Amino acid sequence: MRSYYALFKSNMQLTMRDRSVLFFNYLFPLIFFFAFAEMFHAGTGQGIAYFVGTVLTMGILGNGLWGAGMRSVQDREANILRRYKVTPITPLPILVASMVSGWLLYLPVLVLLVGLAHFLYAMPMPRNWFSLFLMASIGVCSFRALGLILGALANTMAEANILIQLLYMPMLFLSGTTIPASILPVWAQTVGEFMPASYLVTGFQGIFFRNHTILNSLPAVGALLLTAVVGLFLAVKLFRWEKEEKIPPRNRLWVLAVLAPFLVMGCIRAYTREHIGENQALYRDLARSGTFLIRHARVFVGDGTVKEDASVLVHDGKITGVFDGAGPDPEKIRAEVVEGSGKTLLPGLIDAHVHLSAPGGISSNNEDYNVDKTMPRNAAALLYSGVTGARSTGDGLDASRKVRAQIASGSKLGAALFICGPMFTAEGGHGTEFTAHVPAALRDNIQAQLVRIPKSVEEARAQVRELKAAGVDGIKIILEAGFGEGMLYNRMDVALARAVAEEARAQNLPVATHTGDSRDVADAVDFGTASVEHGSWRDAIPDAVLRKMAREGIYLDPTLAVGEAYSQFYAGKADAVNNSLVEQVVPAGILKSTREFLASGQGVDAAKSAIFAGALDHARANLLRAWKAGVPLVTGSDSGNPLVFDGPSMHHELQLWVQAGIPAAVALQAATGNAAKLLRAQNRIGAIREGMDADLLLVDGNPLQDISATERISLVVFKGERVHRADLFDQK
Amino acid sequence: MDNPIQVESLQKSYGSLAAVQGIDFQVCAGEVFGLLGPNGAGKTTTVEILEGLRTRSAGRVSVLDCDPEVQTLRLKDRVGVCLQSTRLPDKMKVREAMELFGALYTRTVDAAQLLKRLQLWEKREAFYTQLSGGQKQRLALALALLNDPQVLFLDEPSAGLDPQARLEIHELVQDLRNEQRTILLTTHYIEEAEKLCDRVAIMDEGRIIALGTPRQIQEKTLAHSTIEIECAEPLAETTLPEWEGAVKTTLDERRVKIAVVSSRPARTIVGMVKWLDERNIELADIHIRRPSLEEAFIELTGKSLRE
Repeated sequence: MRSYYALFKSNMQLTMRDRSVLFFNYLFPLIFFFAFAEMFHAGTGQGIAYFVGTVLTMGILGNGLWGAGMRSVQDREANILRRYKVTPITPLPILVASMVSGWLLYLPVLVLLVGLAHFLYAMPMPRNWFSLFLMASIGVCSFRALGLILGALANTMAEANILIQLLYMPMLFLSGTTIPASILPVWAQTVGEFMPASYLVTGFQGIFFRNHTILNSLPAVGALLLTAVVGLFLAVKLFRWEKEEKIPPRNRLWVLAVLAPFLVMGCIRAYTREHIGENQALYRDLARSGTFLIRHARVFVGDGTVKEDASVLVHDGKITGVFDGAGPDPEKIRAEVVEGSGKTLLPGLIDAHVHLSAPGGISSNNEDYNVDKTMPRNAAALLYSGVTGARSTGDGLDASRKVRAQIASGSKLGAALFICGPMFTAEGGHGTEFTAHVPAALRDNIQAQLVRIPKSVEEARAQVRELKAAGVDGIKIILEAGFGEGMLYNRMDVALARAVAEEARAQNLPVATHTGDSRDVADAVDFGTASVEHGSWRDAIPDAVLRKMAREGIYLDPTLAVGEAYSQFYAGKADAVNNSLVEQVVPAGILKSTREFLASGQGVDAAKSAIFAGALDHARANLLRAWKAGVPLVTGSDSGNPLVFDGPSMHHELQLWVQAGIPAAVALQAATGNAAKLLRAQNRIGAIREGMDADLLLVDGNPLQDISATERISLVVFKGERVHRADLFDQK
Repeated sequence: MDNPIQVESLQKSYGSLAAVQGIDFQVCAGEVFGLLGPNGAGKTTTVEILEGLRTRSAGRVSVLDCDPEVQTLRLKDRVGVCLQSTRLPDKMKVREAMELFGALYTRTVDAAQLLKRLQLWEKREAFYTQLSGGQKQRLALALALLNDPQVLFLDEPSAGLDPQARLEIHELVQDLRNEQRTILLTTHYIEEAEKLCDRVAIMDEGRIIALGTPRQIQEKTLAHSTIEIECAEPLAETTLPEWEGAVKTTLDERRVKIAVVSSRPARTIVGMVKWLDERNIELADIHIRRPSLEEAFIELTGKSLRE
């Protein structure tokens, strides 16, 4: 033990006297730290954590590969190791001392970087200090082991230089250590997955951004530990005291043994592409961490008030201030400025009724029904259109959960989703028609994803609990008998629907009930639905029911857009497609096939068109009466139905409301603050207030005077990120 | 007790190259034993096998009753080694080197005493790079003495040093000899071997070609002594007589210096003095030069030690 300590102490003394080591160990990372911080406009706050992560890794790379690797070759080449050879020690204490001293020399880097980020850039202190320390320690040890192995494998300084460069350079540039991995092409990110450094970068960033612990990167930590242990073991085995001893070329293959854990991990990750999503998510955290001031805009607050000239400060993903007039000096708070004169700032819109798994247009291309593609695409279309939140009232359970998680983690960009998953209905009820033509072999599976058909009260309750356990945000019930030829359905037994609703309430899940006529509405209100979806298409909702809704705070979501869409669809009218926003968000193939279908007249059915035109009139009238009766309102488009496109249809819905006689302010309130309340997210979204998520829509003009102004989108902010809308449909 | 160093039929090959081809010698306790030979003779290989740094191909070796190949660490703990061409890190201080290496042995002597003895005390806070060649070599010796070894291996201890520094090293080795330490040194300085060694083995091409005291080796060789007489005034004669035992006789241009190579110097000198006395010539100086170990070496190996 005495020899270990003596060698360690000597190592420390020598290193502290070596200016180049001090430069590369301490100054070099700091230079990069400041350069990155400025280059990527990390500004102040959380964003700087991104670069603390990358620079920490850079330090580890240098410390391990150059510090341990080069040093060991130097000592051998200079005949220094030879002197130790005649003393009674094995290589182990020499190697262990190198590892421990490298580790100790690294710790100040950790403290320094975190300290600088905290005090100069206001980065919040990481919560999981111990994980950070452990991650850094394991990182240093494994990279020093790698360095020692490289030192053992090289016969000369020149060889060592080449070997080290061969590992150092790719890791520096492809692992996210210098260039953020997420802006690299996919092939480069895939290569990065074979590099230990990549896992350090994402591990550190996870600890900083997401309060991860070391357990979140368990496989990577395991691989690093394995590298450290195997590397040290091999470094002892391959140790050479003298430069005259040369290493047999085949022994060099041992380096593969050290890198093996990462070859395996790389293969797995390259297959799952998990890491690419992780890179995106972490880079997203950086994009969301900025500070900017939207200045001199008209602000629709979302609580019924409007500020004609106000400024809104966004910082680290949140609204951190709302000011009358110009607000604070952006120079002083290091905020970028978004000029809002002539524009209106709204809380991001919320569509309370979407189906993301259908294309919205007419398509015979099977790919357009592939939920893994369609759902993220439609979520992106929502965000593109300034709809920052949406409730899926019926989509496949697994697919819904997946896309909700991708968006929540930031690996995919799209409107934040609230999901109901499968819809409760009856055998042969509305909702089951979508699976009627699916081959029997697939039908069971699709039905399990899309619908729940309880046969008893107990089963109904059990199914709700099971969905709660699966993590849904709400429950969808369909009460609908249908109307017109080919559109008649079995209505769900109200007793079962009531059981569903009661269990949902017990599980604290809001219930959205699809209704078709006033009887459905009355029943839904009676069993305590949280929202009435559609209302009545066929008759007037009685005043008593509306009053009850108003009294009990049951929301009406009239979905006028879908009524209009069907009337136009059966008339062969292409109005819905001939809209700029629709043309921006809908894939060209679907636009084309939709236009062709409508022009061909195949779907034309005058009788149905008339039925839906009448239904729209009923729905408009009911909406107006509900508003007058004080029923709380929310907006929903029922997207996914033919000619109801995610995103644009939300704007169209608002326009239909105003056409129906609803004041623009009421419509916008329904689309923001009210919807947030219905989704029980009013503490985070739906209003422009300090402390709320920075989900914002900046539009040209004044939608309070001309509701169509909402379509003239100037800027969409989602969780503090100024969304690059053009890139939304081209995500990795 | 057995001799501290015993070597029997030692062989070492590197692939097809036979570096040591079966050598035998023993070094007695308290003896300074020199391995003398040109570069590539196998001296360093032999010493490094004894130090436990290399394996052997065949033969039996024992140092302090240890087999260097088996009880390597035990042996290294007990012997002192001063290697050729090693160095310490530039920014290591003398004191730190002593502390570091001291920590590697189970038993050490007082480092301060050692530094004082080796005249390094004043330099204890100096970096390795700040030391002169002689100081570096003295430090190497100090490190070799840290564990108070009974057996010392000194590989070319004075190579590359200036005459003054070399003299200091020689004095040190003589001191160590007086302390009854057993010393095996390799050198290609003949004077060093003559001056320091009780016994010498001359190695060439992996074999020992002569072994004994420096005197014995000289005597074994056929080399002749040279008698040089310098006269106070030039000789009248230009031709000199053939004195008894003279092999070759020369007179310099000034006719002052007579040099005679003789196989029987005692007889020859009597004749010479008598002849000069007869002519009333004053002797300014007389000098008898014995054959050196170097000449013996050249005669034995047909090679020069220094290229």
